[in-house]
Amino acid sequence: MPAYKAPLREIRFVLNELLEAEKLPELVPDFADATGDTVEAILEEAGKFCEEVLQPLNHPGDEEGCHFDNGTVTTPKGFREAYATFIEGGWTSLPCDPAYGGQGLPKLINFAVEEMICSANLSFGMYPGLSNGNYNAIHAHGSDEQKALYLPKLVDGSWTGTMCLTEPHCGTDLGLCKTRAEANPDGSYRLYGTKIFISAGEHDFTENIIHLVLARLPDAPAGIRGISLFVCPKFIPDADGKPGTRNPVVCGSIEKKMGIKASSTCVMNFDGAQAWLVGKPHKGMSAMFTMMNTARLAVGMQGLGIAEAAYQGAVTYARDRLQMRALTGAKFPEKPADPIIVHPDVRRMLLTMRSITEGCRALAYWIGYHLDLSQHHPDIEKRQESDDLVALMTPIVKAFLTDHGFHAANLGVQVYGGHGYIREWGMEQLVRDARITQIYEGTNGIQALDLVGRKLPTGTGRLARRFFHPVADYIEQTSEKPEMAEYVLPLAKAFAKLQQATAWIAQAGLANPNEAGAAATDYQRLFALTALGFMWCRMVEIALARKDDDRDGFYAAKVQSARFYMARILPETNSLFTILMAGSDSLMAMPAESF
Amino acid sequence: MAIRKACVIGAGVMGSGIAAQIANAGIPVLLLDIVPKEGNDRSAIARGAIDKLLKADPAPLMSRAAARLITPGNTEDDLDQLGDVDWIVEAVIERLDIKQALYQKLEGKRQQGSILSSNTSTIPLSTLMQGLPESIQADFCITHFFNPPRYMRLLEIVGGPKTRPEVLRDIADFGDRMLGKCIVRAKDTPGFVGNRIGVFWMQAAVTAALDLGLTIEEADAIMGRPIGAPKTGLFALLDLVGLDLMPHVDKSMAGLLQPDDPYMKIRRDWPLLQKMIADGYTGRKGKGGFYRLNTAGGGKVKESIDLKTGAYAPSDRARLDSADAAKGGLKVLVTHKDKGGQYAWKVLSGLLAYAASLVPEIADDVVAIDQGMKSGYNWKRGPFEMIDQMGAAWFAEKLTAENLPVPAFLETAARAGGFYKVEGGQIHHLKPDGSYTPLLRPTGVLLLSDIKLGSKPIMRNGSASLWDIGDGVACLEFHSKMNALDPDSLALVKQAVDHVAKKMRALVIHNEGENFSVGANIGLALFAANIAMWPMIDDMIATGQSAYKAVKFAPFPVVGAPSGMALGGGCEILLHCAAIQAHAETYMGLVEVGVGLIPGWGGCKEMLLRWQPGARDPKGPMPPVAQAFEAISLAKIAKSAHEAKELRFLRADDAVTMNRDRLLYDAKQKALKLLEAGYQPPAPQELRLPGPTGRVALNLAVEGFALQGKALPHDVTVSDALAEVLSGGKTDFTETVTEDQISKLEKKAFMSLLRTGPTLARMEHMLTTGKPLRN
Ligand SMILES: Cc1cc2nc3c(=O)[nH]c(=O)nc-3n(C[C@H](O)[C@H](O)[C@H](O)COP(=O)(O)OP(=O)(O)OC[C@H]3O[C@@H](n4cnc5c(N)ncnc54)[C@H](O)[C@@H]3O)c2cc1C
Repeated sequence: MPAYKAPLREIRFVLNELLEAEKLPELVPDFADATGDTVEAILEEAGKFCEEVLQPLNHPGDEEGCHFDNGTVTTPKGFREAYATFIEGGWTSLPCDPAYGGQGLPKLINFAVEEMICSANLSFGMYPGLSNGNYNAIHAHGSDEQKALYLPKLVDGSWTGTMCLTEPHCGTDLGLCKTRAEANPDGSYRLYGTKIFISAGEHDFTENIIHLVLARLPDAPAGIRGISLFVCPKFIPDADGKPGTRNPVVCGSIEKKMGIKASSTCVMNFDGAQAWLVGKPHKGMSAMFTMMNTARLAVGMQGLGIAEAAYQGAVTYARDRLQMRALTGAKFPEKPADPIIVHPDVRRMLLTMRSITEGCRALAYWIGYHLDLSQHHPDIEKRQESDDLVALMTPIVKAFLTDHGFHAANLGVQVYGGHGYIREWGMEQLVRDARITQIYEGTNGIQALDLVGRKLPTGTGRLARRFFHPVADYIEQTSEKPEMAEYVLPLAKAFAKLQQATAWIAQAGLANPNEAGAAATDYQRLFALTALGFMWCRMVEIALARKDDDRDGFYAAKVQSARFYMARILPETNSLFTILMAGSDSLMAMPAESF
Repeated sequence: MAIRKACVIGAGVMGSGIAAQIANAGIPVLLLDIVPKEGNDRSAIARGAIDKLLKADPAPLMSRAAARLITPGNTEDDLDQLGDVDWIVEAVIERLDIKQALYQKLEGKRQQGSILSSNTSTIPLSTLMQGLPESIQADFCITHFFNPPRYMRLLEIVGGPKTRPEVLRDIADFGDRMLGKCIVRAKDTPGFVGNRIGVFWMQAAVTAALDLGLTIEEADAIMGRPIGAPKTGLFALLDLVGLDLMPHVDKSMAGLLQPDDPYMKIRRDWPLLQKMIADGYTGRKGKGGFYRLNTAGGGKVKESIDLKTGAYAPSDRARLDSADAAKGGLKVLVTHKDKGGQYAWKVLSGLLAYAASLVPEIADDVVAIDQGMKSGYNWKRGPFEMIDQMGAAWFAEKLTAENLPVPAFLETAARAGGFYKVEGGQIHHLKPDGSYTPLLRPTGVLLLSDIKLGSKPIMRNGSASLWDIGDGVACLEFHSKMNALDPDSLALVKQAVDHVAKKMRALVIHNEGENFSVGANIGLALFAANIAMWPMIDDMIATGQSAYKAVKFAPFPVVGAPSGMALGGGCEILLHCAAIQAHAETYMGLVEVGVGLIPGWGGCKEMLLRWQPGARDPKGPMPPVAQAFEAISLAKIAKSAHEAKELRFLRADDAVTMNRDRLLYDAKQKALKLLEAGYQPPAPQELRLPGPTGRVALNLAVEGFALQGKALPHDVTVSDALAEVLSGGKTDFTETVTEDQISKLEKKAFMSLLRTGPTLARMEHMLTTGKPLRN
């Protein structure tokens, strides 16, 4: 069983040294309370909760899974109690609006907490994660009445929420959605239809569950422009706001699945369930999209959490496991064999996990920081700039971090050898749990399409500017510093490739959309690796400046990880560039029948 | 007989507009109206009309000089001035008695053999001439202009049985060369050509919209671009021309047409329209029309009327697949299943068949009708071109299949394979007898589209082509979207110069697009800037500068022949030409500051050269700098070729062609003349510029404006960059600066502006809204 230790030193480095988040309270009046002390206390507490409560439940939860019995779902032993402790600790209210009982703390801080929760117990994290998405959607688009009714309960965690989008015949293409809404005389609606794969659709944590459902009004235009958003509670709140009448929205079954087994994945049947329109008729998709960005970033944090857990497990094992001798001669002659950490290939795996994970954390937190600025900065132009950056980088964070989570989990298994494949060690669970993050909230292929088809063209590259200009300026300014040459030159090379690829996609994609589609995934990865290169340059610059005050060797390790990243990870951009510039020809030429 | 002086009687919108266009041609014109009942000024009406001409937008006059050619007067005191007038246009109220009385009154006053014409649109010539002496009838014809006369190209000319052939010949020639009109010889039938078909179209489109239950947005979404009409569509067009005009036009048409005319079947009473007019909803000139702007509550909400209930509700964009599908052609549109497709078919099936039934009743051939609709209603294709696009046989079959009548001429076309065909590189058109005749262009008309039918380009890429237009002259054509200039366009400029230098004698730069060029492709530049590809943009500037330099110093004459907008980079290439033959409707300007930039392809440099003091100008280094600064920093656009001369975008000896169709021919002749005169390229010049002191002076002025709120914050930055270039950088009056040095300054300033956020915001705003951002 891999132990998990909340990586607080790493998290502090990114928050305080890289992003200087302790200045947030001065910069943004809304965050006046988010002082360094408060944040530190939160991180400590969250780390403890994750290490002591959530992580120990992870493996048994996977073994036991959820139980379904005639419409009810029972979560694995200990989960219900853990959830009660969780909401008692106020964790659900952390990033929420004080107007509804939230603590109004930066989302950035919540990112760090989410990362830790996902490292410790991804399945558990699903429940509050979905609730938070639901909260964001109602907060942004609900009527005052709806907000007053639902938000306080979602904030204090006494009710949870879901997002009901997927149907048997539609996942990616929600325009095909068939669930219908019929008007009641009192202005509410009745929903008819079946939703599948609904996370947290039914469980035993709370007295009520609030579903947000995409459905079609009778006069709806066909396709994606005809979809509306509804709020549909499991128990209809009575006059006092207490759960009242049971609404006919019922869990039909739960899925048997590859991973996140302690998270219920439900078939939800809507049999005339009473529901209320959220936002404007037919504008459900745009309402969805405002919260989708945050939700996608949150899924990115799941990938990061898994990668961190896998890395920690692998390092512990690589120190302990004795096999063979180092190629250059025994390092521990007193022992029967050297620990496998001496072997170049094992180190390759460990450093790959580590350097990308740390880069991902820096990238994700940077975007989290701008997510906060985009919503709370007093200057509207600054809000817009941050919003642009977040919009641009969201698909990259979602896809790259989850791809890495899966890859890192796999490497973790590899480091364990045969033991990695055995349930008892817990490493294979990480692989299984990580796999879904690449699929839900828009598959990673769809993220890539979002990046090239939507984000790049917006404002003729305005979103792109928020990333490309800072990087170009940084390279210009830093290339003069001799101690940075080892890092900035590779970044400059990768960045030039990214620029070329971007210009090419913009042009080729205009002429033939298949070119953009064919290049998208490789381009997204090229972009992400370059962005990580940028984060690494900035991190190593800090580490180099502080290397004389480095009692625990933290900065020295940072420099070493940075060197590894620049020398052995970033050059993947070369092959990605070559591949994507090869164009769509060889990819589209084969007729479908020939497959 | 040449027309050296003209008179317009009736100073209403049409009369004064016609007078303005005559003045635009450089011909003196008397503008007469009746004596007002009150006031001392007996010519007050005509004088007031001239004042209005000077204020109207779009401007009816091409220059202030033109205004001075119009002399106001009245029909009681000034008829004695008609002695040397060659052409009198009557544009008075549409009343037979008044018109006839006027014609009688003119007898004895007007010069013998002078031409008398009426601008009537509703009274047949035969009626106008009824009972009038032969002397009037021989000199009389109808000259029917479209509103506004400067901008609408159609001029319908109708002769009577007694009209002398020379009258028609002379007026057609004058209308064509001097007024720049597209002449259509029409018969003396109701509505002549344009309105006969145009009114049918509007009526059919209204009727079908009512029958099929379309919203006005939906109707407009189909009756605009998808069918090749202006994007205003139908109801927005009616708002524009005025709703109260509709019943008048309808009544006059119905009064004149035969009872079995198809128009009589589609016209109908429309209570909503009557109510709207009665309530003052007469269109844009009234409280609003089918669309209105609701300003209640301080907002500005565009609203549309519900055709069924007459109630207004906020406008909603029409969502019709057929409107998008129409990009695939008319046939795709009219066979589309949705109601937009049905609507298009309902209107076009009736309209096009109607048109086919009117040859030779209203005009001798299909060409006249097609040209009439294109130049009078701004359609992209005439009715017969529309039928050909769908296929005459297919169209006839579909009519038959739906039990709709198929006119004999359409049957003939269906058998022959269309109303037009191209044979031996030449267009032929079908006559009702089933024979094809070649479409002959008059001497002096040379069209690139004709040349393209009969030859292949010398070279071509996605944005430009080079054509051989005969006599050793090549024509460089831009054809990218909106003729925006991109690296491909620039590459072809360079290749064209190389090619002509080796193999040909002269080059004309011309195209038949709506606009000569709207300037550099800023979308491309913006995207490159947003992803920080500075070297690529640097290279684009350098390439443009060297291409334009090659044009300027080419060993052969390069003649620019623009029409429409020539802005930014499109203006700059013209500034580098040896000579210009401009269409009168050319709108030049260096408008880069609108997107937060300055001209980077030699525009600054050339404007400095243009304003170098001539014999009569003030001396010293500052005046040219100040003049160039004013033109560029205010993004001045010349509203005509004449104005372009005033602003020195054109030189005094650059020539102007009134008729677009004659532009290429004139430009080619100009190039040949330059060759004959032994063309020598200009020598590079050196300038004395004021340097930093000049820059400071200019900045002071701008800062003054900024303090008064007349200049925006980013204007100050952009103006400073411009001031640095125009004042010559770090020079002073004791030194000289080369052309290349100024180009370098241009590039540097351009690149530095492109790196600023406000400039990028301006570019983005322009691309998304088409309007400048004020930041
Ligand atoms: C455990 C779990 C939990 C889930 N939780 C929820 C939930 O809480 N709420 C909810 O609404 N949904 C939930 N989902 C559903 C999930 O979001 C969808 O499965 C996902 O969006 C993909 O849809 P799909 O399965 O229909 O795949 P499809 O849409 O059928 O896609 C199949 C493949 O085709 C690719 N593809 C599709 N279209 C394109 C295209 N245009 N271009 C390129 N590639 C394309 C996809 O990338 C994918 O690889 C969950 C799913 C699982 C397994």
